[in-house]
Amino acid sequence: MFFLNLTFGQFAALFGAVSGAAVLLYLLDRSRRKQTVATLRFWVAAQQPPLVRRRKRIQQPLSLLLQIISMALLLLAIAQLRWGSRLATPRDHVLILDTSAWMAARSIGDATGRRTLMDDVRDRARAYVKAVPPSDRIMVVRADALATPATAFESDRRKLEDAIARSAPGATALYLDQALAFARQTQVLGSRRAGEIVFAGALRVAEGANQASRPASIPNLRVLAVPDNAENVGLRRMAVRRSATDPDVWDIYVAARNYGTAPQSVSVYLRFAGEPAGFRGITLAPGAEREATFAYRTRAAGVLEASLWPHDSFPDDDRAVLELPPEPNLRVTVYSDEPELLRPVLSSTARVTATFHRTAQYRPDDTGLVILDRFRPSEPPKADAIWIDPPANGSPIPVRTRLQGAQFDRWCSDNPLCGGLRTRDLHLAATSVFESAPGDIKIGQVEQGPVIVARPGKTKTVVFGFHPAVSEMRYELATPLLFANILRWMAPHLFRRSALAAGSVGTVSAEVDEDVRRPEDVRVQSEDGSALPFTLRDRSLHFFTGTPGTVRVTTSGGEMVYSLNLPQLWESKWEEPAGARHGIPVFRPTPGGATDLWPLLALLGAAGLVTEWFLFGQTHRRMARLRLPLSFIRPRARKAS
Amino acid sequence: MASPPLLDRQFLEKLERLTIHWQKSFNGLVGGHNTSRFSGGGQEFLDHRHFHHGDDLRAVNWRAYLRLEKLFLKMFQIEPRVPVRMLIDTSSSMALGDGQKFDYARKLAAALCYVGLVRLDTISVRPFSARLSEGISCGGGRHQFSPVMDYLSNLKAGGHTDYLEVTREFISAYQQRGLLIIVSDFLDDTGCQKPLQYLADYGHELMLLQVWAEEDRTPPWAGELELVDGETDVHLKLDFDDLAREQYTRAFDQYAADLQQLALRNSGRYVGISTKMPIEEVIFGSLVRARGIA
Repeated sequence: MFFLNLTFGQFAALFGAVSGAAVLLYLLDRSRRKQTVATLRFWVAAQQPPLVRRRKRIQQPLSLLLQIISMALLLLAIAQLRWGSRLATPRDHVLILDTSAWMAARSIGDATGRRTLMDDVRDRARAYVKAVPPSDRIMVVRADALATPATAFESDRRKLEDAIARSAPGATALYLDQALAFARQTQVLGSRRAGEIVFAGALRVAEGANQASRPASIPNLRVLAVPDNAENVGLRRMAVRRSATDPDVWDIYVAARNYGTAPQSVSVYLRFAGEPAGFRGITLAPGAEREATFAYRTRAAGVLEASLWPHDSFPDDDRAVLELPPEPNLRVTVYSDEPELLRPVLSSTARVTATFHRTAQYRPDDTGLVILDRFRPSEPPKADAIWIDPPANGSPIPVRTRLQGAQFDRWCSDNPLCGGLRTRDLHLAATSVFESAPGDIKIGQVEQGPVIVARPGKTKTVVFGFHPAVSEMRYELATPLLFANILRWMAPHLFRRSALAAGSVGTVSAEVDEDVRRPEDVRVQSEDGSALPFTLRDRSLHFFTGTPGTVRVTTSGGEMVYSLNLPQLWESKWEEPAGARHGIPVFRPTPGGATDLWPLLALLGAAGLVTEWFLFGQTHRRMARLRLPLSFIRPRARKAS
Repeated sequence: MASPPLLDRQFLEKLERLTIHWQKSFNGLVGGHNTSRFSGGGQEFLDHRHFHHGDDLRAVNWRAYLRLEKLFLKMFQIEPRVPVRMLIDTSSSMALGDGQKFDYARKLAAALCYVGLVRLDTISVRPFSARLSEGISCGGGRHQFSPVMDYLSNLKAGGHTDYLEVTREFISAYQQRGLLIIVSDFLDDTGCQKPLQYLADYGHELMLLQVWAEEDRTPPWAGELELVDGETDVHLKLDFDDLAREQYTRAFDQYAADLQQLALRNSGRYVGISTKMPIEEVIFGSLVRARGIA
């Protein structure tokens, strides 16, 4: 007979505490039936002396004894008292399979080149399962960055075999200490009798995994190590961004690392849309990481691929792919009888393609941005539009008055549309003053009212009360700046900085712009559009993804696209704790099984408490009031001493 | 919703042949018994009432008999009398439980008032607990019963009992001796025998009607109890069993016997009334046997 959950000492301590508390509470006080009566004189006359607050001796020994025995039975049930030998209880083992990305590396000594480390791990795991006695249960846990149980504690060998066969290399490195902690906790909480914790893998873990709070020794740890060849050179990341000097040129950075112990010379090949785009040869010292840079001119979209040559035993990190987006472009259609006035302003931005037409050639179904120069169209444009000095009866924003010789008063100050605009003593020979509506942005104003108004909405509209290239404003620096602000407001994607990076899954860190201060300013989305959790501290953004794919980080000023398809590789060799066993064990046959007694004990304990309550508690008094014929089981009330 | 009347019509009709009795003669009353009150003829006519067996045939209104073939008795008011005084206990102890003691006491008081009014007695009702409260005085026939009924219906119980203080106030307020009916549970922790003896010594004729609930006399509870005095809020913890219950009941009966002895010793009357007894049985049984009414 033995306890499954508690040691005898723990049980004795618990029982002592509970029974002591019961006796103490019994002696302190008991709940009494409170009754309001007309007078106390006859109660006193009944020669019933009032009780002292605390009892000095046990008055109802049967009640107290019943309580203590019931609690002892319940504690025995909690401790899971079992009938039989402890050795007869089957054990519960946890089998941790290394499913890190490194398990996709080729196995040592395999001539075909098809066998991977994962196959070796499966073989070792199967051998262990075969060695374990049939009555023992095993839980299969897949471990990479996360520890994921593939089965519960299972004695069905077919289910275990199925879970082992379906285990495949993941995309992240191994965090073994977390997996071991998970296994220990599972054995404490869910096992009948703790068996072994078995790790089958290559013992190569991610950086920092060794610093986890691991006990000095794990007494029931067994390691089924799989030999591997650590000589590997792989791509670590690839980053691509538009050149600061020439927007048609992509600056490309490719980083590679030598994981092995010998120097390696490799070639980095770059291909865009299937065509060679660059080549660099680099030499890597053991454990070193180097970067190769490329510049590639294209405005087209396409797939950019970086690859290493020669390939090694782990080919998954020899190739990185990024999809370059096309350069954004805004089509601007200008209807003007004097196109030369606006041509300089629109030709200064490379991402703007302007086409000029006579006002008589107006069509309302143009896309992009439409500029209407001093005329009234037969039908308003369906796209975003800039109206320059429209006639009073054709203005999209009503004209309040027409002024001759007005002094420009001020620019708005609280809107990005007016960012950087400065003018001094600007005199307008003639201008319309508009009747703005609530929600309109008054960009520029004279004393009588707004003369440049922006109206947000489904289609955005900006109306000038004067022609900037005909008035004195053509000499001002504010004119091209104002048009740039308007273009940024109407087509923000045009000016958004974009960058791309290829890297490995896991934790990703990035630096965001200075104007990003709050988490609300950032969106981190996975490939399917769902939001990923992230942290933002100062200018550092951190997020985690455990599966390969594309993640977009969008801020107000730009977008960063992460193509996380490279595997996360190990950083160091795992140091085994002292006392770890190795190899496939030989288990002794277990004797016959043990019987669980806790359901019976729990029932007896509950029945004891109910009986005590019925005989001595409130129920008894209630029944007495109802005058039920229960006298044959009622104890006689004792007088207070 | 209006509460039901304390007494119903049929019961009131049964009360009409009763008379409140007293033994002493008091200044202002004609004679010492009810029968003497009707000897004075030629006085001011007051009311009619139904004829009952034993009534004086000389007072029958024969003219009415000829017209209606029913016997009616003419009643005359002869002179002001010393009122019959009635004290009704409104302390918290009367309202304990579901208030059955208090209801019972109010019904009993109403019945006695009606008996008195029918016999042209003047009734003065004063509620009391720690002190005497404002009461109601009525007289002049049964048609004055409605205000009394309303007054008793609206009485509320509360406060603790202080017989000594009430006695002091009563003696100060009523110099003229007379019949004093006290409807109470007489459960004053400080004791009420001495104040009652003062009243008797002062010259009042006492009619003590002790009303108790069954749980006052035989508590149904057992085991470990925490008792709270309903009037003083004093707590008492004790164990209670069958033996203790017997002693309790014995003490209660002894107290009731002491009250009875006090009343009889002073030419008064005592009736112990349990609330489980029907009020009709009390009026026509216990009270008649005690010669409180006839």
